[in-house]
Amino acid sequence: MTVKIRFFAQFRELLGTDIITDVSSGMTFVALIQTIAKKNPAGYTAIFDENGAFREFVILMKNGKRIDITDAAKTPVVDGDDIAVFPPVAGG
Amino acid sequence: MISIQTEDVDIGVLIREAKKPETGAVVVFDGVVRDDNITEMELEAYEDVAKQELERIAGDATVKFRLQHVDIIHRIGRLLVGENILIIVVAAGHRNEAYDGSRFIIEAIKAGVPIWKKELTKDGGRWVPGEHGHGTKKTP
Repeated sequence: MTVKIRFFAQFRELLGTDIITDVSSGMTFVALIQTIAKKNPAGYTAIFDENGAFREFVILMKNGKRIDITDAAKTPVVDGDDIAVFPPVAGG
Repeated sequence: MISIQTEDVDIGVLIREAKKPETGAVVVFDGVVRDDNITEMELEAYEDVAKQELERIAGDATVKFRLQHVDIIHRIGRLLVGENILIIVVAAGHRNEAYDGSRFIIEAIKAGVPIWKKELTKDGGRWVPGEHGHGTKKTP
């Protein structure tokens, strides 16, 4: 089962983007992104707090649609998911 | 035209094309790179989603303020001080709808369209902080 993870802005600088990875069935969003973010401690700390929960300003999208960060711990990823993780927007 | 692009646009052409016989007012918002002791600004977007969001905002503004025409062009990539970042052109029958529609669009873009800015300086760079509160963490 393969999914794609995109990080943006400072998260991209720390962790890269367009990461395609194999995941096991039933893996949750939190577990997946924790696994990837742990490759860079600064990236992990930017996204997760000391309890391993998403920092409250982190925004998640699945296939272009927002996911509540409190639902991410119980939401499994599925084959083909396009996942985006980013900080508050600042366009305009 | 709703677009996320690296190239600049000719605002004069946009104004000319926005006008209809029934148009009474055209309002242009031109956001530019301000010199806050920076060398350049770098803009990044989640392009597919950002374009969909801009189209949704333009549609909402058209209905809410009875706009006759909307252009939103948001630039990405590296921009110099003084360059255009965001151009919004709206046309309406009267000035109130045009001003209010333009304001609605820029505030909606700042609130929710996935675009980010990094100010580049001689010493490196700093990401412009976005507005907090939209990580949607539920309260217990």
